[in-house]
Amino acid sequence: MPKREKKESMKIVPPGKKKCVWMEAGVVSYKLCDNNYDCPTCVYDHAMQTKVDRQKEAALTRPIEASPDQFTHSWVDKMMRLPASKRKCRYMITGEVDRKICPNAYECGTCSFDRMMQQRLQAEPLPVKTPAEVAGFELADGFYYHEGHTWARPEYGGRVRVGLDDFAQKLVGRLKRIDLPHIGHQLNQGETGFTVTRNGDTVGVLSPVDGIVSRVNDKILNNPELINRSPYEQGWLMIIEPTKLRKNLKGLYYGEEASSHIQAEKDRLFEVANEEFRMAADGGESVEDISGEMEGEAWVKLAKTFLRSQ
Amino acid sequence: MISEGGNAHLPLCVMICSIGPVDPFVRDQVAECVSCQCRLPCRFSPEMTTPAYAFDEKRQQYNSKLILRYLMDLNHRSLRFLAVTQLDLFVPILKYVFGLAQIEGQCAIISTYRLRPEYYGHAPNPALFMERVKKTALHELGHTMGLTHCRDRRCIMHSATTIEDTDVKRARFCPTCHEIFKWQLEQYVS
Ligand SMILES: [Zn+2]
Ligand SMILES: [Zn+2]
Repeated sequence: MPKREKKESMKIVPPGKKKCVWMEAGVVSYKLCDNNYDCPTCVYDHAMQTKVDRQKEAALTRPIEASPDQFTHSWVDKMMRLPASKRKCRYMITGEVDRKICPNAYECGTCSFDRMMQQRLQAEPLPVKTPAEVAGFELADGFYYHEGHTWARPEYGGRVRVGLDDFAQKLVGRLKRIDLPHIGHQLNQGETGFTVTRNGDTVGVLSPVDGIVSRVNDKILNNPELINRSPYEQGWLMIIEPTKLRKNLKGLYYGEEASSHIQAEKDRLFEVANEEFRMAADGGESVEDISGEMEGEAWVKLAKTFLRSQ
Repeated sequence: MISEGGNAHLPLCVMICSIGPVDPFVRDQVAECVSCQCRLPCRFSPEMTTPAYAFDEKRQQYNSKLILRYLMDLNHRSLRFLAVTQLDLFVPILKYVFGLAQIEGQCAIISTYRLRPEYYGHAPNPALFMERVKKTALHELGHTMGLTHCRDRRCIMHSATTIEDTDVKRARFCPTCHEIFKWQLEQYVS
């Protein structure tokens, strides 16, 4: 039965992608989330909800036949039909908690577990799978990378966490200070979002997305070395409420593209750092602190070149 | 100044030179590989002494950039000059290098230090070791002929950050890199 097999294989969710709640509940057979589980702002969720409401109304006046493209139940209706022990909490569906049964009939807006999770998820960086090594630099999987070496990671609820990538971290080295914008500040993709300072020299870093700063990582203000120790987790910088996420993500590197970008940047870094004559080096990882080998003017020049800032 | 690549009057050959003691067998194998793959005859120049000037106390390694600089200032009577050493090399910014080369220039250097399986705690494997030496030599020669890094993982001009990268590559140029290499070489012949 090859036909059936095909249908099954279509339901495979690619790694790194997540099922839409409408798929999880079994209302639709295949739909991936493309809005970071921010259902209130999701066009698809709205359209589905409208469809369900309309068909529910129609069902009141005349009985309708069951057919695959008619939806008389929303995902919440479907989930509520399951035995209580099968009603997965939305944080379980998205993998943020291992096992959690919905305690509040999917009324997430009034759920205290939901509120706790929202706050916790903002404060704690999500765990990162062991980052891949590309050209001697670590790249975290599932992150989007700006050419100016910041990363953006869309998270639950449509927020975006932002940080410096491993290349930037090694490039700028041990920082004396990092100045992050205030909460409520508007950032624009490709424009200076914050600054880093070392040995009295300050360089701007570009924001990877457009949006409003909703939280900054207080821990790194006193401990900038967290950025060096853990650029993709503990060293995160801020959380942004994006305003043009879908458009912004298209302007960022992801997956294979991110790898190619880092490889090219390594070669370029080598050229810039050794510009007296053209040469190519083959081998190792970069030293932990690239700028430790070049102070003052050289540091500013190198940082500005690769962070693409003025 | 003969450090630039466009010297048609230089003998069309690759000079191979040991820096510090190097197993003559390794040297011979490199020569054989280069003449076979690049269609360039090889000659040997007398061994140079260990370059004390390039030793970095802090890193306990030799700065390959300083060695390359030194080689570039010498007057070589050959199209290309390939130095081979057993010393552990680095360049500023990188923790170590397998090789360093001028892009479209006369000189390159390779190190066998991190090419031995023993270095990674594996059993000695002379065949694998020689494979790595040849690949590294061809790669650096490619740079001196103006080739930059190739995206094809199997191509000899793919950048090697780790020894695994070296092992994945084949000891030959991909069609594009081969064409560029050949074209560059023809420039010197005509
Ligand atoms: Zn190379
Ligand atoms: Zn190639």
